[in-house]
Amino acid sequence: MLVRRFVRRIAQFLIVYGVGLASLLGLKYVLTLSNYVVPDISLILETAKDVIADYIPAVFSTLSVTILGQVISIILAFSVGIAGRKSSWLGSFIRVTAYNIQAYPIVALAPIIFILLGDGFLSRLLIASMICYFPLLLSVLGVMAAPVRDIEHFYQATGRMTWQLEVKIRAFENLSKLTTVISGSATLAMAGTIVAEFIAANAGIGYSIRTALYQSDLAKIFVALFLIGIIISLYQGLLESIGTWIIQKTSTELPSHAQ
Amino acid sequence: MQLVCENLSFQYPDNGTIVLDRLSFTMQGPGFHAVFGPSGVGKSSLARIISAGITGYTGQLHLKEIKTILYSYNMERLPGWSNIGNVLQQVTPSGRESLLEELITVFVLDNLMESRFSCLSLGQKNRVNLIRYLVQDFDLLILDESLANVDEKLRQIILLYIKDRFPDKMFLSISHNLMEVATFCKEIMVLGTQEERGRGCILQGLDFCRDVILDRNRLDRCMLEIMNAC
Repeated sequence: MLVRRFVRRIAQFLIVYGVGLASLLGLKYVLTLSNYVVPDISLILETAKDVIADYIPAVFSTLSVTILGQVISIILAFSVGIAGRKSSWLGSFIRVTAYNIQAYPIVALAPIIFILLGDGFLSRLLIASMICYFPLLLSVLGVMAAPVRDIEHFYQATGRMTWQLEVKIRAFENLSKLTTVISGSATLAMAGTIVAEFIAANAGIGYSIRTALYQSDLAKIFVALFLIGIIISLYQGLLESIGTWIIQKTSTELPSHAQ
Repeated sequence: MQLVCENLSFQYPDNGTIVLDRLSFTMQGPGFHAVFGPSGVGKSSLARIISAGITGYTGQLHLKEIKTILYSYNMERLPGWSNIGNVLQQVTPSGRESLLEELITVFVLDNLMESRFSCLSLGQKNRVNLIRYLVQDFDLLILDESLANVDEKLRQIILLYIKDRFPDKMFLSISHNLMEVATFCKEIMVLGTQEERGRGCILQGLDFCRDVILDRNRLDRCMLEIMNAC
């Protein structure tokens, strides 16, 4: 099941990547563009052989920042989402603030972070977390602020409701939605990390792409994009599998009336 | 034990539809009472007003010797993270474990304690839900279609058992089942038709108990009265 999911994800990426590359090569041959503008297959393969040893550690460096950034944003989103679920003034304030801030393109704040923190790990992590955080927060707020009346009624009527129970009920009832959102936010975290590495960093695949850009070496960029696609497919496949496992674990039994 | 409603009026705040219009009635004593009427005449709204689930109504609600009111309805669900047995045990007050066991047996749910709530049929879900209310401390329990989708035979067993086991408690049953209401309830509040929306009248039911022979002629008359009042 896990292998099949990974294979499917990678196959999907390879199709998209192949179509994109084929289109560019088609353009190259139709317009008789030089290898300098669009490299041919043999040049891409040759470049891959040369840079793969450097690019694999770089893409794993990006992935490690992505994972850490995503974990931080998940923790933050749940903390703020839980605090903002109430219809009190604090809850309303948190929700309105979150909706307004997420409307702003967070990536535009990246230069400020680099001016204040400089190049390096911390800046990459912060930008990755910020880009991933707000969409996650909105989903968590949406889940946590929506009462599950059919379940909560009993606990409220009998005075058993606690905030922990309320959060547990709402999270459990929306488990599928939450796991999908978390899995989807991996792409955002990866995008945030790469953007941070584009702007100013000294490591990661984004930094390698920036270097290749300065050299106008499209073959290197193709190799970097290929590795990014493979690694994000594997990571998302893993997150989806964890989500599916959690959902299956909580509903494994056969309906009693069907037994 | 007395429940008195005086000139109770309520209209939906969103569309202004009048649901209850100067409704007045009195229900006395423990046992089964009922609210009967076609869909949309305000039965559930009345139940929610009584259980303090709705505010914004006018009129008076007097409760004598009724401190704790619980309202159960048939769409309720139990959390799905654990099996039914665990969830029921968690919500059972200490000292009532034997009552829980007894209820599980009478409600024919012994074999389902290891199952998750989502895996049950509608009738099983309603029975499980009702059990967790019955083990609580209450004076008045409102049953809003709480035994819907339960077969006639088992429903009769359950209702007779509740009447026997909780003789000092008051129950207010909201049901569309005419025969059930006429047979088991002693006072039936029949809410009016569309023309007399929001009004109602109290009729006497048979208040059938165990070891009593059911008078079929009286039951037919009672059902006719209820139908005519609707």
